[in-house]
Amino acid sequence: MSSNELINQVIPLLLVIAFLLALLGGLKRVMIWRQGQASAIYWSGLLSMPKRYLVDLHHVVARDKYMANTHVATGGGFVVSIFLILIIYLFELQFNITIGLLSLSLLIMTIGALFVWVRRFTPPPNLSKGKWQRLPKSLLIFSLSFSMLTLILVGMINIDSRYLMLVLLLFAIVWGLAEMVFGMTWGGPMKHAFAGALHLAFHRRPTRFNGGNSTGLIPIKVDTNNLGVAKPSDFKWNQLLSFDACVECGRCEKVCPAFAAGQPLNPKKLVQDMVVGMVGGSDAKYSGSRYPSSDNEVRSGSINSIIVDGLIPADTIWACTTCRACVEECPMMIEHVDAIVDMRRFETLQNGNTPGKGAEILENLIFTDNPNGHAPQSRMHWAADQNLMLFGNQPNQTMQADVLLWIGDAAFDMRNQRTLVALIQLLRAAKVDFAVLGDAECDCGDVARRLGDEVTFQRLAVANINTMTKYQFKTIVTADPHVFHCFSNEYGAFGLSTPVVHHSTFLAQLVKQKRLRLGTHTKLDITYHDPCYLGRYNGEYDAPRYLLAEMGLHIKEMERSQSRSRCCGGGGGAPITDIAGEQRIADMRMQDAQDVAAKIVAVACPQCNLMLEGVVEPRPEVKDIAELMQMVLIEESV
Amino acid sequence: MAQFDALFQPLNINKLTIRNRIVSTAHAEVYATDDGMTTERYIKYYEEKAKGGIGLAICGGSSVVSIDSPQGWWKSVNLTTDNIIPHFQNLADAMHKHGAKIMIQITHMGRRSRWDGGNWSTLLSPSGIREPVHRATCKTIEIEEIERIINDFAKAAARAKAGGLDGVELSAVHQHLIDQFWSPRVNKRDDQWGGSFENRMRFGLEVLKAVRAEVGDDFVVGMRICGDEFHPDGLSHEDMKQIATYYNDTGLVDFFSVVGSGCDTHNSLANVIPNMSYPPEPFLHLAAGIKEVVNVPVMHAQNIKDPNQAQRILESGYVDFVGMTRAHIADPHLITKIKLNQIDQIRQCVGANYCIDRQYQGLDVLCLQNAATSREVSMPHQISPTTGVIRQIIIVGAGPAGMEAARVCAERGHKVTLIEKGAEIGGQITIAAKAPQRDQIAGITRWFNLELARLGVDIKLNTEANESMLREMAADVIILAVGGEPFLQQNPKWGADEGLVVSSWDVLSGKVKPEANVLVYDTICEFSGLSVADFLAQSGSLVEIVTDDIKPGTGIGGTTFPTYYRSLYDKEVVMTSDFLLEQVYREGEQLIAVLENEYTGVKEERVVDQVVVENGVRPAETLYWQLKQDSRNHGQIDIDALYQGLPQPILSETGSGYLLYRLGDCSAPRNIHAAIYDALRLCKDF
Repeated sequence: MSSNELINQVIPLLLVIAFLLALLGGLKRVMIWRQGQASAIYWSGLLSMPKRYLVDLHHVVARDKYMANTHVATGGGFVVSIFLILIIYLFELQFNITIGLLSLSLLIMTIGALFVWVRRFTPPPNLSKGKWQRLPKSLLIFSLSFSMLTLILVGMINIDSRYLMLVLLLFAIVWGLAEMVFGMTWGGPMKHAFAGALHLAFHRRPTRFNGGNSTGLIPIKVDTNNLGVAKPSDFKWNQLLSFDACVECGRCEKVCPAFAAGQPLNPKKLVQDMVVGMVGGSDAKYSGSRYPSSDNEVRSGSINSIIVDGLIPADTIWACTTCRACVEECPMMIEHVDAIVDMRRFETLQNGNTPGKGAEILENLIFTDNPNGHAPQSRMHWAADQNLMLFGNQPNQTMQADVLLWIGDAAFDMRNQRTLVALIQLLRAAKVDFAVLGDAECDCGDVARRLGDEVTFQRLAVANINTMTKYQFKTIVTADPHVFHCFSNEYGAFGLSTPVVHHSTFLAQLVKQKRLRLGTHTKLDITYHDPCYLGRYNGEYDAPRYLLAEMGLHIKEMERSQSRSRCCGGGGGAPITDIAGEQRIADMRMQDAQDVAAKIVAVACPQCNLMLEGVVEPRPEVKDIAELMQMVLIEESV
Repeated sequence: MAQFDALFQPLNINKLTIRNRIVSTAHAEVYATDDGMTTERYIKYYEEKAKGGIGLAICGGSSVVSIDSPQGWWKSVNLTTDNIIPHFQNLADAMHKHGAKIMIQITHMGRRSRWDGGNWSTLLSPSGIREPVHRATCKTIEIEEIERIINDFAKAAARAKAGGLDGVELSAVHQHLIDQFWSPRVNKRDDQWGGSFENRMRFGLEVLKAVRAEVGDDFVVGMRICGDEFHPDGLSHEDMKQIATYYNDTGLVDFFSVVGSGCDTHNSLANVIPNMSYPPEPFLHLAAGIKEVVNVPVMHAQNIKDPNQAQRILESGYVDFVGMTRAHIADPHLITKIKLNQIDQIRQCVGANYCIDRQYQGLDVLCLQNAATSREVSMPHQISPTTGVIRQIIIVGAGPAGMEAARVCAERGHKVTLIEKGAEIGGQITIAAKAPQRDQIAGITRWFNLELARLGVDIKLNTEANESMLREMAADVIILAVGGEPFLQQNPKWGADEGLVVSSWDVLSGKVKPEANVLVYDTICEFSGLSVADFLAQSGSLVEIVTDDIKPGTGIGGTTFPTYYRSLYDKEVVMTSDFLLEQVYREGEQLIAVLENEYTGVKEERVVDQVVVENGVRPAETLYWQLKQDSRNHGQIDIDALYQGLPQPILSETGSGYLLYRLGDCSAPRNIHAAIYDALRLCKDF
C-alpha cells in the first residue's frame, strides 16, 4: 500500500466505518435511554448546550486546575482534530492551513494526553482504574498516529514498502478511532463525551445553568400505583442519560460524607450501578472504590429488575444525607440526590421499608404532624413565657403582621428552643412586627420527603399552605434551613408564593438597616459551619459571615466551607435511618473545626446544632448565629 | 417522651400560664426590712430563680395582713400598708422580665407568733389556747376582730394585685389563723365560728369570699393547706380531704398547695421541712390524696430535689406542680441546667436545713453550700472568667473551703492545683457523712468532685504538703485550707496524751472501734456530738452523751435536732446535760470518767469502756507560720475589701513571690457555710 492509497482510500473508509459504527452505537444507546419514563424535554437545551458545556460545566471542572487544563488540551485538541481530520481526509480539503491547524491541535492533544497519562501512573483512590487506565494511552495513540499520518500526508515521512510501520500505523489509527469515535457510543470511556453532551442539552433541571440554582425535589403524582423508582426503567429517560455521562472521576466520592464515614455509599459507584442496571450485566468490571462497610459481592441487574437489595444494597440509598456535595462537585452535573430520593420513594411508599427509626418517624408525622410524635397541642409549650402574638381570629390574636415567624421542629427541642428565644429577642429589639401560627403549624415535611414519603410531604405542604393563606404577612422568617428550603424551593409547586428568608439573611438586613445594634465579642476562636440546606441548597454563604464580622468576630474558615462545606450528618433523615459506618459524620465535622483550633462553632441550623452538640466532649461549643447575636445585643433602654 | 418533658408542660392556674411545673413554694426569707418592705436583696434573690428558669415563685412565707400579726420576728413582708405596693412592682417586674410568675403568701398567724416585741400585740386565736412552739399565749378572738381581719385579708390581696403580683396564697397551714379555726383541738367555740364543720370552715370561707370580691375572678387566689397534721387530736388526712373538697366546691380557690404534717410541736415541725434523714418526697401521698378531691392544680414541696424525681412525680400525675424550694436555694439555676443538659452541674440540696434552721432563729435564710444565695447583690452565682492575668494557684486541703476556692479559681480561668493529704476530697464532710442519717451531706462533696473534674483542677490526693514543696511550686497564690485536729488537749486531765480519750473523728472514721459502754462528752453541742453518739448506739454500744451545755445538741436547729432525738431515744442513749468532764483515769480494764455538775459542783463517776470527747477543732497552723513571713501579704486578708465583696487590693499590685491566705477551720473553726463563703468572696476576684 502506498501513502497515497492509505490517505485517499483506507483512511476515509476507516473514518466512514468509524462514524457509521458510532451512529449505530448512538442509536442503540438512545434506545437504552428510551426505556426510561417520559420527561419534559426542553429542546432549547440543544442550543444552550455549548454554553452549558463551556461555562457552567467548566466552572465545576476548573476547581481542579490540573485536570481543567489537561481536559481543555485533550478534549479541545480532540474536538478540533477530529473536525479537521474529517475535513482533510474525508473531504480532502488538504490545505496548508488545515494541515497546519491539525498538526497544532494534535500537538495540544498530545500534550494534554501526556498529562492524563502521568496522572494515571499513581492514580488517586477516587479515580476508577480499568478502562480508564487505557484512555490516556488511547489518546496518545490517536494523536500520535494522526500526527504521523499528517507527516505522511505532507510527505515528511514515506511509508512505502515499510510494511511493519504501515501495519502498526493502521493498527494505531483503528485503535484510536475505535476508542475516540465509536467508543463514544459503544460504552468506552469516551461515552462521557457523547452522553455528557446530550445530558447537558436535555438536563432535567435546566435552571441549574446560567448561574442558576435548582435544588428542590421534583414532586411526583401520588395517586398512581407506581410510586418512585423500583427498577432502572422507572427513571426518567434523561436520568438514565445522565448516568451515562459519568466520567468516574470520583469527585463525588471525595466529598461524600457518608463515604468518608465508612457508610455503604459511594455516589460514583451508585451511578455506575445505575449504568449496569440500564444496560444489563454485573458490576464485575467496575474498577473504582466500592461501597464501604458492604459485602461487595458481584451484583447484577437489568433494566426491569428491582434495584434496591438487588443491584445495590438497601443501606446504600439510606446512608445519604442529601447534602448535595456530590451534585455540587460533579463536573457532569449528575443529580445523585434525585436518584436516591426516587429510589427511597419506592422503598417507603410501595414497600414500607424505611429502615431504622424511619417508619416510626413517618408514622409520627402522619399522626401528630411532627417527627418525634409530640402532642400537637404541646407545640407552643416552649414559648409559654414569650407572650408571642398568634395568628388567629380570637381576641389577642392577629390576622396580619409583617412577618410570619415559622418555628419548626425546634419547638420541641430544648437545645434549639434557646435559638428561638434568642431570635425572638432580636426581632423584638428591632421592633419587627411578627406573629406565629402556634399549634396550627405542621412540620414542613422535609424529613418525610427526604425519606421518600412524598404523600406525607404533600399533605403537610398543602396543610401548611392552607393555614398560611388565612393570614396576611409579607415575609416568612425561619431559623431552620430545611423549612427555608422546602418553602422557597418545594412549596411553590403547591402554591406558596410568599417570600421566605432564613433568619441569618433577615437579621443581616436588620443590622444593615441599623434596626439592630450589636456590640462586639471579645476575641473568640470561632469557625462557621455552613448548613447544606442554607449554603449549597440556597446559596446563602454571606449573611452569617456578615453578621459574625459585625460582631467583631474573625472566622477561622474550615478547609471544607461554603459550597464545599461538609455535612453535619443530619440531613435527609440520615440520623433516623442511622446506617452503620466506621465513624460518625458529625465527629468528622467537629474534627474539621478542631483542626482550625476553633473553640466555638457557629451554626445556622437546628439540625446542625443537634448533630454537632451530639459529639462527645471535649469539643468546641456550638452556638447559633442568633445566640451569638443575643449575647452582644444592645437593647435600647425603655 | 424526652427525659424531662413532664417538667416543661406549661399549665394554667386560673388564667395565668405557668411556663413549667417547677415552683418555689412560700418560705420566710427573713430579710424584708424597713418594717416589712421587700428589699433589693429580696428581689435579687427571687430574680435569680426567675433568671434560672423557674415557673412560679411564691414569696413571703407568713406575710401578714394585719398589724396584730407580728412580722418583725421573721422580717416577713408587711401587707398591712399601701407602702408595699411600689416594692411589689419592682419585684413583679424583675420576675416577669425573665418569664417567671410571682405570688405571695398572705396570712394572719393568730396565736402562732410572739407577743413580746414589735407592737407588743395581743395575739389572737379562736379559743385562746396557748401555742407551745413559740410559747405563745393569746386571747380569744372577738367577732369584731374576726370581721376586721377578714377585711384585712381582702385589702392585702388588693395590694398584691396593685403591685403587679400574679396571685396570692392564703396560708391555712401550720396552725395559722384560718386553720386554727378549722381545728377542733384549738377551736372550742360554740358560736357560728366553731363547733360544726360548717362553722369551723366559716372564717376561711369569709376570707376567701372577701378576697375574691376584692381582686375579681381572674386574679389567682390559692390556698396552702396541710395534708395531715399528724397530731392525735389534729386534723387527719380524711379531715383535710373534706376541707379541701369544701373550699374547692366554692369555686373560689385556684390552686391548693399541700404540706404534709402540722408543726405546732418540735417533733412535727421537723416533718414540714424534711431534712436529710427523710426519704425522698415522704408526704407526696397526702398531696395526691388532696388532688383526688379537687379540680384545680395541686402543688407540693417537701424533699423533692432532683429533676428525675420531679419528672417521675409529674409523669405519674400525683400533683400538678412540684415545689423545689430548697433545691432552688441550693441552685437557683436548676431549671436552666436541666434545659442545658447540665444535670451534673446542678448543686443539689442535701437537706442540711441550714436555711430553715436559720430562719427559725430569726436569721436570714442562707444555703449551707451555696454562699451566693441570698447574697445576689454582692456574690455571683456564675463565676465569669478573668480578663486579667492567669495565676498559678495552689490550694492545700480539700475540705469545704479548699474545694470552693479551687472551684472558684478554676472558673476564673486560673491554673489550680488542689493538694489533699487524704485519699479523697471532702475534709470533715466526709467524716460527718459517716453518721447514721447523715450520709447525704456527702452530696456537697459529690458536686465539688464533679465540678472540679469538669473544670480541670489538678487534684493531688494522698499528698501531704510541706513548706519546701510549696515554695518549689512557685505559685502566685497559696491558699491554706488545711483545717485542724480534734482539740483533746484542752483539759490535760482528760488524758488524751495517755490515750484515755478518743475523738469523735476517731470513732466516725473507723480508726477506733466502738466499745460496749461508751461516754460521749460533747462541749460543742452541734451535729458532731449527736452524730457520734448515734453512730456508737447504732454500732451496738451503750451510750451516754454528757454535755456542760443546757441540753445535748442545743446548737442544732429546730428541724434537725428532733430527728437526732428520735434516733437517740429509740436507741436508749442516755442524755445528760449540765455536767463537765473533769477527769478520766484508768482503773483496771475500765475507765472512770469524773463528771462535775456545772451548778452544784457535785461530782459523779461513770465506769465505762471508752470515752469519746467532742471538743471541736484546733486549727493546724504550722504551714501558715512557715510561709507567712515570706509572703507578699504576710498572710493577711484585707477585710475591708473582703466584707464589701471587693477584690483584694494587693491583686492589682505587681510583685514577686506569693500571696498567702488562710480559709476555713485552719484559721478559726466555724462551719461549712463560713468556709465556703470566705472562699467565694476571697477568690471570686482573683
